[in-house]
Amino acid sequence: MRRPLRLRLVLRDLSTAAAFASMAISSQVPVWALVLFALALIVALTGRRPLARAPRLTALLLLPVAGALYLLVASGRMDLVVAACSFAGIVAAQRLLSESSAATDGQVLLVGLLMIAGGAALSGELVFAMCLLAFAVLASLSLGLAVVEAAVPPGEPVPVRAVMRPLARGTLLAVVGAVLFFVFIPRLNWNMGVRRATPGLGTATSGFSDTVRLGGSGTLKSNPRVVLRARLTPDPVSTEHLSAYWVGRTYDTFDGQEWSTIGAANRRHRTRVTLRPGADKQVYQRIELLPAYGSRTLIALETPAKLGNALTHTPTGDRRTRLQELGGDELRFVDDGLGYSYEVYSLPPGTDTDPGRMNETEMAQLLALPENLDPRVEQLARRVVGDEQDPLAAAQKLSAWLQREYQYTLELSGDLADPLEDFLFVRKAGHCEHFATALTLLLRTLGFEARLATGFFGGERVGDEYIVRAGDAHAWTHVLVPGRGFVTVDATPPAFRANQSLQILESLVSFYEAIEGIWRTSVVDYSFRDQIDFMRGLSRPPRDPSSPERPSGPPARAWWTAGLVALGVYGLVRYLSRRPRRPSMGEATRLVDAVERQLTRAGLPPRDGETLEDVSARFTRDAHPLGPTLAPLTRRYLEARFGQRPLESGERARMLEDLRRALDTWRQGSRSNAP
Amino acid sequence: MRATLRPPRTLKVTGMGRTYLVVTFGVGLGALNTGNNLLYLVLGLLLSVIILSGVLSERCLRDLSVRRVGSEGAFAGEPFAFRWALTRRKGHAFALTLSEVDVPLTGEGGVGYLPAGLEHVVRADLTAPRRGPVKLVGVRVTTTWPLGLFAKTRVFPLPGTLLVYPRRGFACATPEDAATGHVGEAHHPHRLDGTGDLAGLRELAEGEDSRRVHWLKSASAGKLIKVEREREERRTYVLEVRPGLAGEALERRCEEVAEQAHRLLEAGHEVGLELPGQRLRPGAGSGQERLLLRALAWVGFEEQREEAA
Repeated sequence: MRRPLRLRLVLRDLSTAAAFASMAISSQVPVWALVLFALALIVALTGRRPLARAPRLTALLLLPVAGALYLLVASGRMDLVVAACSFAGIVAAQRLLSESSAATDGQVLLVGLLMIAGGAALSGELVFAMCLLAFAVLASLSLGLAVVEAAVPPGEPVPVRAVMRPLARGTLLAVVGAVLFFVFIPRLNWNMGVRRATPGLGTATSGFSDTVRLGGSGTLKSNPRVVLRARLTPDPVSTEHLSAYWVGRTYDTFDGQEWSTIGAANRRHRTRVTLRPGADKQVYQRIELLPAYGSRTLIALETPAKLGNALTHTPTGDRRTRLQELGGDELRFVDDGLGYSYEVYSLPPGTDTDPGRMNETEMAQLLALPENLDPRVEQLARRVVGDEQDPLAAAQKLSAWLQREYQYTLELSGDLADPLEDFLFVRKAGHCEHFATALTLLLRTLGFEARLATGFFGGERVGDEYIVRAGDAHAWTHVLVPGRGFVTVDATPPAFRANQSLQILESLVSFYEAIEGIWRTSVVDYSFRDQIDFMRGLSRPPRDPSSPERPSGPPARAWWTAGLVALGVYGLVRYLSRRPRRPSMGEATRLVDAVERQLTRAGLPPRDGETLEDVSARFTRDAHPLGPTLAPLTRRYLEARFGQRPLESGERARMLEDLRRALDTWRQGSRSNAP
Repeated sequence: MRATLRPPRTLKVTGMGRTYLVVTFGVGLGALNTGNNLLYLVLGLLLSVIILSGVLSERCLRDLSVRRVGSEGAFAGEPFAFRWALTRRKGHAFALTLSEVDVPLTGEGGVGYLPAGLEHVVRADLTAPRRGPVKLVGVRVTTTWPLGLFAKTRVFPLPGTLLVYPRRGFACATPEDAATGHVGEAHHPHRLDGTGDLAGLRELAEGEDSRRVHWLKSASAGKLIKVEREREERRTYVLEVRPGLAGEALERRCEEVAEQAHRLLEAGHEVGLELPGQRLRPGAGSGQERLLLRALAWVGFEEQREEAA
């Protein structure tokens, strides 16, 4: 038994790793399976196969693993697909550590295929596409090398370089073919079984809790991950960056260190919630909270009026979910899920709004101050605001003063006994929560009703949608203005409101998000309807809703498509017609049989063992009258039989006719010469 | 066009290919049942690999020509080296295995990579189960390129004959007594350089060994006379395969005679052969052994020999 090619084994092991990764990115594969596979992979890549000596025994050990997984599934502690994927991973690990043979290699790659199928069932991530591509390339190269290695005689080198290029080209063609199949395979269903994505690049980052505590670190502001996608109607097409506030919830109570809400939760669960009366020209939003968001609080453009029609995305598919109303205008999804999508109607910015349903306690809480509030806070507020009586003007004065006099920083000193006092009088630097808290409490000390709001600020246009990043998380102040409702005033310097991640990191994440958007739209959510639209787009003109008349005749793209297809067919026909025809040996053999029959009938049978060329040579040597006829016929036969120049259509009949005439002439001559 | 679209090929699914098809079927069912687009994507990849396998293997078997180089000597029951010369007019071919079609020869040769324009000699260790002429019909060229899922085969019609010599083994019976008299080449002038009985005197030719000079006769004759003596260690044997033998008995006799002849020729003797309807003059050396083996191979297959001639 010869030693297997090391490169082939490495490719095989890496392809298996790619297949396993396609499942692992779903974060649903148990940790023990991950660890076992990783260990097996590392050992295999070092070239050691410790299970080679006892392949059957170790294969038997897989049975208890299968039994344990079955029990977990039966007890409802593990999903069936996850259990199957985990078992496939363990089988792959066992095979990786076994002796390499043709059977083992085949099993490893086929288990890899099963893991890829499992990955497809568990995850819809873009990373899955990369894993699939990596598996296809690596497995094809490994299999191709194995095929060539098996054909090479022992002792001879495997022509690795010569093999790699055509294999790579073949793999590329296979991928193109896969795309074509994907586009044109008829869908008999409506894409119901797709499992939604997981947080992908890590755990969910921007969570909404029940409190806002001053302090901590400011890493969130530098996180470029996208947590929210929104499609707006009317669409502000020309706006690349929105300066919009996306509110999640508000807080009315500050105890000196953290904010909370006194409002009680509404126990009713509803599919649609109206927070306040609507208005003309409302902004409709179709929002998708991505798995990276990691919270159940609904987010909406300020100021939301109606929310509902929510879907929760779970590993097993989408389902409708209801909403629960909490204090502080917060709405939460009732069900847990990887992500959510819902619809919102918001009042346009600048519209007078209803403050919402608030009881007296809640209204009174808008003026509540912490018990140990430093008296210098009120003095400071009076010094800045002066005699201003209008709450909005006072808020704007304070906001401008804070932005001018205080520094924005994400470097904080950690937990303090009085973070507000530290911000206003010691460090004079902080992040958005410090600015918003300061403004809110400064206003309250002057008797103006205000509250803290949290959510996101910004919005970056990608395609037809706007995305919001984790780093866009923000806090600001709502000032209650009589007759206008709550008005947003933001004390944070404008340059620091949106996310502050590195530009290059942001670009990379945007690029990834854009590709993932294409992946999601074109692959994960591709449906029978898209297929029909695609086909229709090839044959019918796109309908312009603004134009009442249907354009006459097919569109230009239909002509282009027809032209391309015709060109392709023409090229194929040309190619096939140019190809040298396969030598028709049957035709040549029939020719020689017919010639011999004619010669025999004419009394000139070939001698024993004499071939046609021998007969022809004899005739020529003897100056036989048939020699000149038989010589070209024989030459043509040899060309057709061995020279790759097949007989043309009708050529055989023509030559036989010539021979028949020559034989007739020869017979007549023989008779006339006879005594 | 029809010949192009439906070339004479045979296609077999390998063991791994069978499992691959089962997995493809399963993924297809899963895709149809769940509507999961990623499963559709995987299914598309699996299907395109199947089609690609067919196209690439077809390209591999195109523009090939095969020539049979043959064998130095094929003995029944043991592997012998057999060669084909394989040429590709254009393009490359990969992972080709060659074997003979419809003959009881086991074994195959392989070539990993065949570039265009070069004649590549493929060697195989074939084994023939029995003695006699093997009528070769054609050469089977098979490839599992590119992924080993399917084995596509093309047969190149290439008539020919392979003569399989009798099986090499042990000869239990000792050869009959050596022939006497003027048999074979024992009395050939070139063979009279032994130490046995006096065979004659003649003038010493130029360049001949002077130790053979008979000095007494030379002195009386006035010129150098050489003594010629028979080579006692070299004898002539005529082995025989009697008529009327058939089947297993004929096989055993042929094998025995072949082995005896081999042994005698190795020892430097001359060996002739008496066959039913044929007689081979005694001779020595490897050429004679080859003649004997060929004659023994044809015993019992005389009709085919006439056809082949």
